[in-house]
Amino acid sequence: MVTKEVEKLLLKVQKPGRYTGGELNQVVKDKEKVDVRFAFCFPDTYEVGMSHLGMKILYSQFNSVEHIWCERVFAPWLDMEELMIKNNIPLYALESGDPISDFDFIGFTLQYELSFTNVLNMLKLGNIPIYSKDRTELKQIVVAGGPCACNGEPIADFIDLFFIGEGEEVDLEVIELFRKCRSENKSKQEFLQLAAQIKGVYVPSLYDVEYNEDGTIKAVTPKNGAPAKIEKRLIMDMDNVYYPDNFVVPMVEIVHDRAVQEIFRGCIRGCRFCQAGFIYRPVREKSIDAIDRQCRALCENTGYDEVSLSSLSSSDYSKAVELLSRLNEWSNDEKVSISLPSLRVDGFTDDIMSKIKTVRKSGLTFAPEAGSQRLRDVINKNVKEDELLNTCHVAFNGGWNKVKLYFMIGLPTETMDDVVAIPKLGMSVVGEYHKCENRPKNKGVTVTVSTSSFVPKPFTPFQWEPQDTKAQLIEKQNKIKETINTRKITYNYHDADTSFLEAVFARGDRRLCKAMAKASEKGFHFDGWSDCFSLEKWMDIFKECGIDPTFYANRRREFDEILPWDHIDYGVSKEFLIKECKKAYANATTEHCRQKCNNCGAAKYKGGVCFEKRQSMV
Amino acid sequence: MKNVRVWFKKDFECRYISHLDLNRCMLRAVHKSKIPVWHTEGFNPHPFITFALPLSLGFRGERETMDMRLTEDFDFEEIVKRLNTCLPNGIRVFDVTEPVLKPGKIAFALFDIKLTSDSISPANLCSELNVLFSKEEILIDKKTKSGIKEINIKPYLSDYSLSANDEYVHLSIKLPAGSQENVNPTLIINAAEKYLDKEIYSDITRLDILTEEETPFE
Repeated sequence: MVTKEVEKLLLKVQKPGRYTGGELNQVVKDKEKVDVRFAFCFPDTYEVGMSHLGMKILYSQFNSVEHIWCERVFAPWLDMEELMIKNNIPLYALESGDPISDFDFIGFTLQYELSFTNVLNMLKLGNIPIYSKDRTELKQIVVAGGPCACNGEPIADFIDLFFIGEGEEVDLEVIELFRKCRSENKSKQEFLQLAAQIKGVYVPSLYDVEYNEDGTIKAVTPKNGAPAKIEKRLIMDMDNVYYPDNFVVPMVEIVHDRAVQEIFRGCIRGCRFCQAGFIYRPVREKSIDAIDRQCRALCENTGYDEVSLSSLSSSDYSKAVELLSRLNEWSNDEKVSISLPSLRVDGFTDDIMSKIKTVRKSGLTFAPEAGSQRLRDVINKNVKEDELLNTCHVAFNGGWNKVKLYFMIGLPTETMDDVVAIPKLGMSVVGEYHKCENRPKNKGVTVTVSTSSFVPKPFTPFQWEPQDTKAQLIEKQNKIKETINTRKITYNYHDADTSFLEAVFARGDRRLCKAMAKASEKGFHFDGWSDCFSLEKWMDIFKECGIDPTFYANRRREFDEILPWDHIDYGVSKEFLIKECKKAYANATTEHCRQKCNNCGAAKYKGGVCFEKRQSMV
Repeated sequence: MKNVRVWFKKDFECRYISHLDLNRCMLRAVHKSKIPVWHTEGFNPHPFITFALPLSLGFRGERETMDMRLTEDFDFEEIVKRLNTCLPNGIRVFDVTEPVLKPGKIAFALFDIKLTSDSISPANLCSELNVLFSKEEILIDKKTKSGIKEINIKPYLSDYSLSANDEYVHLSIKLPAGSQENVNPTLIINAAEKYLDKEIYSDITRLDILTEEETPFE
């Protein structure tokens, strides 16, 4: 719905289709007839947010409940934001066009640390006080979930409650509690205290944090009956958990413009830098029958001719080939193509290749993450160089001639030898192309080597590690540039400044809230976009607030230090993470979950891969 | 194989999507509808659809057309029904016909334009526009592929009417359209903004597309 006031602005901005709603399959209800209005906010642009699967799932699920109306809200791009401010138009939800201040819940999904300023900015654009303590009534409850909720401390002063883990069940429980509290005329404070009793709910205002003189945390103390440890929520029965048979189909092109079918959650691998590999444990698969049924319904209801099978490391689905065969039974006739976006180097077999390229062919992307075998062992990315080369061989012979390789620089224990190994691996791939007899005729090979800077994340074995300084990272980037001696390799690298800020927020504590508020006051937004990001401006803010950002980004923590997120429990024990960290220093790898149980702690959820029969046991 | 011409309106939220987005939107709707249409046979097979005359972003369209090719006989009314269930509400198919004319026959388009300005009343805006339109020459910069070019839009102001009511100025105008010569009514709005030095809001509807003989395109 577009109001008259908004309509006046639309022809003055880029891609106005982002601000109108009205797409196929959007849900419109009568606001007089619903009980709870939920504004689901994605703190980034429409094109990014509409590509996000979690939002699609929760949007449909909330709306499947008669008395809840969930609407979508995205951050307006700079041109639209400016006009909205100039014309006094508050941030509105797309379905009704109503300002978000009218809503009972304002929910954010936190996918990326650099979107934190957008969270505050969106509240501001909605004329909602940013501090939790300034919103005193039982309305405009600001909630947040998603991976970055695992350490929400840098925005703890602004969020009323965090959802820890997977949202399908806990979100609805909190909404029900809200209805009950409102009908009983309870206060917001009473509601929050009761909500804190729900498993998977973290109410930051119910915890006091004390600090030592050296700046580390002395103690985190719960009050008013809040639990000492907040346990994550997760769904064990993946076949029966809610999954939408319908997506809102955007009219303007978005980043991932296709149907998305989830095939499992979690990852068996345990790469030591990867937060997702730990916080989503254990691996829980959907059955082939469920995937096939859901996938088909989605394609029929949306009209998409492409569906992507979504998970971490999708080729680790235990029956990947069987699944693809089943989907191919109808997908070819219906002219639907199937893509597997997250393929491991060792998962790209002839069999899988033939089934995903039947309709269309795209570029190939692999992530060896580190150049040398030693460093790949350190990070537990159990991929060997000859596996990568073999895979590329198969792909080149199958008609591909573009490969993208992703790496990280600044990984723990990295030396210049490891850095130089990155372009060398790229050159080996180029060499492999010329060995292929069936390579595409008259076409050269393009290998893109991309490096990002390692950001240590909570709940990983590297959560105690310092991040490389900017100078170190730039030296490494330059070394790679120098080493590349062929035009067949394109080198891209991620800006070290944004990685630094990401590292500060990722492992930050509550004292950063002050800097966040200041940044919001100064109108910071879209920090994840080079159009807006300025580390210089952030450094000014840190200075103003008396905060040393290197304390968070570049400091090595001791194993016995109390970390800002220690009171959150994702099922993986700290002992296990310490053991993994020590193994990394010894260049020792850890077997994946299907080879051997390594006692990470996730078996306490009594399901998933932890209770699968291992092949070695059959 | 049989070519069919699909007639639709583009309005509401859907007026804010570009021609490329409309194309994608229609492709998905055709795919979803399972109407037996001919697909291209290249690397990325997709339903073969063509539009007679693209509509600018922001315009409403009353009589827009899209051609596609059926691989087997299919009831026209069923096509209307199915496409409408597969399209967003802002795009409504109202008829399917057998194409009579080739899109190359299009020569004019008829526009209905509502103009308002925050700084001047509709009656005054109307009289200022009357003065402007009666000038000998109205020059305006036009962005072309080869850069900005100054053109005179006066020759295109041959068939129009201007009137005002309490809310807006009503401009009804016929402009050259099609592959030979195409004049976007936004040029006239731009000229008005430049010469009257005012911010003008416009609400543009393309009512119809016409042939050289000024009969409706069919």
